[in-house]
Parts: sequence; C-alpha cells; structure tokens
Amino acid sequence: MYKYMIKRFLISIPLLLIISFLTFVLIHLSPLDPAEVVLQAQGVPVITEELMVQTKQELGLDQPFLIRYLAWFASCLQLDFGDSYVTGQPVWSLLAPAFLNTVKLTMVSALLIIVLSIVLGVVCALREGKMTDKTVRGISFFVTAMPSYALAAILIWLFSVKLDLLPTSGMNSLSSYILPVIVIAVSYAGLYFRIIRSSMLNNLNENYVMYGRACGLPEHKITKTILRNSLQVAVSVFCMAVPIILGSTVVVENMFAWPGLGSLSVKSILSRDFPMIQAYVLVLATAFVLFNTVSDMINAAINPKLREGL
Amino acid sequence: MKKRMFTSLITAALVLIAGCSEKSTAGGSENTPKEIIYASSKDINDMNPHLYPGSMPAQGKVYESLVENTKGGIKPLLAESWDISQDGKVYTFHLRKDVTFHDGAPFNAEAVKQNIEAVQSNASKHSWIKLSTKIESCNVIDEHTVELRLSEAYYPALVELSMTRPYVFISPKSFINGETKDGVSSFNGTGPYILKEHQVDQYATFEANENYWGGAPSIKKITSKVLPAGETTYLALQKGEVNFVFTDDRGTDSLDVEAMNTLADSGNYQIVRSEPMNTKMIVVNSSKSGHPVSEKAVREAIWHAVDRETISKQIMNGSESPAETLFSSNVNYADIDLQKRAYDPEKAKTLLEEAGWIVEEGQAVRSKNGNPLAMKVYFDIHSNSQKTQAEFIQSSLKTIGVQMELVGEESSSIANRRSTGDYDLLFNQTWGLAYDPQSTISAFTSDASYLHTTKGMSNADQLYQKIEEVMVSKDEPSREALYKDILTMVHDEAVFIPLTNGSVTIVAPADLQDITFKQTQFELPFERMSFK
Repeated sequence: MYKYMIKRFLISIPLLLIISFLTFVLIHLSPLDPAEVVLQAQGVPVITEELMVQTKQELGLDQPFLIRYLAWFASCLQLDFGDSYVTGQPVWSLLAPAFLNTVKLTMVSALLIIVLSIVLGVVCALREGKMTDKTVRGISFFVTAMPSYALAAILIWLFSVKLDLLPTSGMNSLSSYILPVIVIAVSYAGLYFRIIRSSMLNNLNENYVMYGRACGLPEHKITKTILRNSLQVAVSVFCMAVPIILGSTVVVENMFAWPGLGSLSVKSILSRDFPMIQAYVLVLATAFVLFNTVSDMINAAINPKLREGL
Repeated sequence: MKKRMFTSLITAALVLIAGCSEKSTAGGSENTPKEIIYASSKDINDMNPHLYPGSMPAQGKVYESLVENTKGGIKPLLAESWDISQDGKVYTFHLRKDVTFHDGAPFNAEAVKQNIEAVQSNASKHSWIKLSTKIESCNVIDEHTVELRLSEAYYPALVELSMTRPYVFISPKSFINGETKDGVSSFNGTGPYILKEHQVDQYATFEANENYWGGAPSIKKITSKVLPAGETTYLALQKGEVNFVFTDDRGTDSLDVEAMNTLADSGNYQIVRSEPMNTKMIVVNSSKSGHPVSEKAVREAIWHAVDRETISKQIMNGSESPAETLFSSNVNYADIDLQKRAYDPEKAKTLLEEAGWIVEEGQAVRSKNGNPLAMKVYFDIHSNSQKTQAEFIQSSLKTIGVQMELVGEESSSIANRRSTGDYDLLFNQTWGLAYDPQSTISAFTSDASYLHTTKGMSNADQLYQKIEEVMVSKDEPSREALYKDILTMVHDEAVFIPLTNGSVTIVAPADLQDITFKQTQFELPFERMSFK
C-alpha cells in the first residue's frame, strides 16, 4: 500500500510541472505587453515609453522567456510566488486568506452535499418509481438547471429581505454561511444523489441481495450492505467534488460578496496580475492532483485489484 | 454578454417582485446612530495617495490638497493663501496653522516639502499631470510658508495641485525610508475621515476626524462595503444593510435605472444627480491619410447621423443627457457659442454627396474613386452601453450609406490603439470636470492620448501653438480667448463627436441632507452631509 502511495505521489510531480509551464506559456501568449498591463493595473493614467522600459527592468520582464520561467519556478520551490503586480504585496499574503475563506465554504458545502446525496439517493432508490422518487428527481432537475446566481438572488430576496432572517452577503457570522452553502450544495447534490440512486438500484438486482433475502436476513441489514457497496462508486465522485467546488465558487462568491479565491481570481484575471494568476492555477492544480490521488488511494484500499495496475 | 443580459433580467425580475411587496426595511434603521454604509464593487485597495491603485472616493475622505477646485474657481484648503510671482514660476503658499495629521504629526512646510519631493522622485508614474514635469524644487521658507519653483510658467498648476492625487499629503511618519513610492506604513492624512479598519475585499470603516480643522463632520462613521454583484447591492439596499451607492471611479453604476427608481419610490431613498461631469464621445483618427475619416465632410456627416436624443433616452435610460459639444457649458472656459450639429440624416447625405461620396447603381455603401465609405469603430468589450450605442450608430450610418464595422476589445488594447493611431473611430470619454478642459486639451498634443485624433486637422499646427500658449498664459482674458479658439477649431473639424454627458448619481437615504458634489466625479464631500 505504501509503495502504491509513493508511486502515485511521484507521478503527480511531473504533472504539476507541466501544468505550471503551460500556465506560464498561456499567460505570456497574450498579445499585450506585460509591462503595459502592469501599469494599467496599477491605475497609472498615462503610460510613457520611458516608464515601460523602467517597469520592464524592475519586474525582470526584459529577460528571455525561459529564464523568467526558471526563476519563477525556483522561487516557487521556496514557496515564494513573487509579488502581485497590482498591489506589490507578496502573492502568498493575498492568496492565503482568500484560499482559507474558500476552503471553509467548500468544506461545509461538501459535507452538506455528501449528506444530502446519500439521504436522497437511498430514499429514492428504495422508493423507486413512487411519488417520493419522482418529486425529488423533479425538484432536483429544476434546481440543478437553475443558474446559481439566479438561485442566490431568489434566496437572498426571500430569506434576507422578506423574512429578515439572514444577512444578504458578507462573511461576518456563522449565519453568513447558510445561503451560499445551500446554493452550492443543491446544484451538486442534485447531480450526485442520482449516482448513488442508480448504483443502489444496480446493486438491488445483484445475486447477494437475493441470497441474503433467501437466508432471511433483516431488510435493514441488506440495505446497509447495498449502501456500502454503492458508496464505493461515490467515493471518487465526492473526492473530486472538493477541488471542483474550490475552483468554481466564482459566481457564488460574487453574489454573496465572499472574500474568497473565486473573487480574487476574477479580479486578478481582469487586471492581468500574472503572478497572482500563476499562483492561483498552481494552487488549484495541486488541489485537483491531491484529491485525485486521495480518491485513488481510498479506492485502492477498498479494492486491492486496483493496486496491481501500477 | 449573455450572462450579463441574464443578470439584468434577474435584477428586473427582483425589482418587480420587490416592487410588489409592501413591507420594506428602511435604509438606515431608526435605533442605531446614523451612519453611511456605501456599496462598492471594488475594495478600497492600497490607500497610498501617491500611487494609483487606491479607490479615489476613499482617498478623498482621508487626504487633502493645498487648494480646492470649486465651481467658483480655486479656493484655499490646506493653504490659507498663496502668491504667484510676476513671471508665473514661483508659487508661495501660506499654510493653515491649525492642521495636524491623523497621527498627531503637525502639518507644516516641512511635511509639504517631503510629500512633494516623494511624488517627484517617482515622476515617471505621474507624467499625465503636466505639473510633475515642471516642478524644479520645493523649499521651506518658514514653519508655515512653502514655495514651489517651476521651470516655466504653467497656469493649470493650482488646478493640478487640487486633484485627488498625487499632490496630497500623508504624514511623514508614514513614509518608508523617506519615500512613498514603494509603499507607506500607515494611511494618516489630514482629511475629515480617518481610516479605522480595513478587511481586504470585505469592508473598510472610516471614522469622523473630531479634530478636523474644518470642524468635526456630522456623520460619524462611513463604511465602504465590497459588493461585487449589482443584484446583491439592490437587495442589501432593500434590507438596509447598505444605504448609499454612487457612480464609481470608472463611471459605472452598480444599479440600473429601474432599480434606482424602485428604491426611490419606496420612500426610503432619494436619487441625486450631479451636473454633467464628463462627455462620452467617439474619437476620430483624422491623421489616417487616405482613409475616409481623414475628410472633414465624412466626420461631419457621422456627427449629423447620430441621434443623441434616442441614445440618451433609450440606451442610457435618461441617466445621461445628449451632448452637443466636446465639453458641456459648465466646464471652465467652455461656455462659448459653437454651431450645433443636430441629428439630420438628410444633411449628412448632402455633405457626403458634396464631398464626392456617391451611391453607385445597385450598391448600399457609398464610394469615391472606387473606395467604399467603410470604417471600423472600437469599443470596450466590457461596456454594455458602448456596445449598444455602437450598434445603434451602425444602423443609423447604414441608412446614409456608410458602412461601420464594430470591434469590441479590452480597454487596455483600446488605449493602445489610441496611442499608436491604429484606429478609425473609437469610444472614449473626457477626463472629467476637474481635468477638463486643461488636461484633456493638453492630451491633444500627447501621442499617448489624442495626438492622432488632432494631427490630421487642417490647422493642427496652429492648434498646437495655441495649446502651448494657453498653458503658459498669465492673464484671464487671453486665456479665455485662446480656449475659445482651441475649442472652436476642434469643433469645426469634428474630430471629437460628442454623444452624451455623464454625471454622478447617488442613491441615498431619504433623510440624508446636504448632498452636494465636488468639481470631480471621483470624490464626494461626505463631511458636508448630515441626517435630518
């Protein structure tokens, strides 16, 4: 098992290298002069040739592309992502708090998604074709199809303005979490409970279920076994949900004025704050690789056959 | 674009739903002490007043300049009075004696000298403000007297000293290594409000400066809350979590007109609009030789083909008024008689016919010597209103036989086109009240701005000569005459085609009084406001 973990970990390193290089290339493919972009992002009203040359020197933009990449990569290894072009502050000092805020939101949402998906999936599978199943699936279809900013606006209007129960936005207290978490959770849970439902249904027709029934096992024990087997499918889905949510909270953060990674990334992209964008992509890529590895490991732990493949 | 359209739809739906409801919470609740909480789409950012990333409305509350630009001209602020030498090169300022920075440090001649030198040591970033290229030295005469020596006479010196940045004053204790260009350690100005707390991307609170030399402000606390989405801003206003919004530094309103009207109809809010602050326009590249836009007749025809009334009423929902000249008449020196070019497609057609642009048999587009009358207009891809206006003008021009292609680009690439001259027409706006006319006009000669726009004018050399003269002019009558000539010349040559006049809009609690504006779209005088 440990051997497998080490192998899996080693494979992810070149992957991150490739991602970081691609990000660097893609950003520098932009037809705009980075020095000009920096000065515009800093709000300098009129940009002169002289100022451009000076800025290029200051930021080391007069160096060849590969040298810049290597310099950037070397400092990344020391966890130094450089300074933001716009504010001049270290990237890490801006990214870390935003990252934590988004992680908090993501974790609470992921928890709710898992609980909702399992409960709804099991209920629907056991009541297959009945009214409950149809209603849940109908509503989930509707809610999943709705753009999250529309759902967010309706919820804010109902719970904050009309009923005056919750704050409209911000990150001030625990109650601030409720609406954004609901918006994120319903759209994902609406998809994931179907996976649990269908895998439960598949398992229901397996021989071991018939055998268990024939042996007179109590129905709740059979259901438990089916659920455990069905969850195996869901493990990787749930694991990957975490980085996916991390990278897709933009709309929700925007609507709820949540000071997280989504808002920060959009701001950085619009102002072409290259060091910020690079760090953001690297952080997200790491999260994806990490959770992918974790989900593979969990699956490998459950099913030893998978370990042989590597 | 699609997303934005959908967003507007959602807001419209919310306005409808909320409009139908009876219960509505007030802006500024009754029990708590009255404060202003304004929504802003962006964080206040770095408050260093000698650099440009910070929010100007926030900086305007904390920092002050030597003099103030008002409707009635330049008035004293941190300087009680000033003398200008006969040759216009030496300005001597007599400072107020009762001013301290928020950290208790005295505001004196030494502080002025240090601040001005800190700005000058980073002069390349301030090249837009011509004064920065003319300051030779700043000398302390005594504790409360300071002199500014210029390399040559420069009449807009006082106007440029009055601007939100960079010639404003931060406590010398906030300097790092005697400089401000690489950051400052705290944000202590002399202004009516003190920055108390700043949570990045969440909010910033400002408290009244009880020792303010102009008297403690009536409103004791102002919070700037970051709300990126207009829908949330609208709902937060309904709930009373924020109670104030205004047109931001970039001239965009986070709420659309319907949303504002619904809020005002509820009785909890009022809408206050400033007089025109700037002019939105189409800039024509007159120096593009051989291209139709280098012909005056073509430029005039485009001017006559634009229906400004419809743009103002239908596209801008009445929030902006039609503009007939480059500067509205409330701009200094701009209240002059210029011949109005009304919306008149027939006149436009006649002008084109006379210039030899004719419609060939079976063709929709006019041509001359085989060249079609076609051009490209560049607009900011992120501006909904520019796109709609461009489409509208495109269809108007089609009816007079002019083909206009629309190209939406990032604002930075539009700025790049403007400075390299790689455009036919592009959407732009004047710099705004405090900067008009002098900064916009001096930009006529700058290749980073409007050089390509003005270079193709038949009398360009004469124009540049007059611009040079007006900047060093020493008496008011000759200045007025020069400005009149300059404005008449660019008007006659039709190189700036005006569209609408933008203004600052405020949505404020109904019981807030004394809401006024400054001579700039970038600041609001919160210290003069009070609750009933």
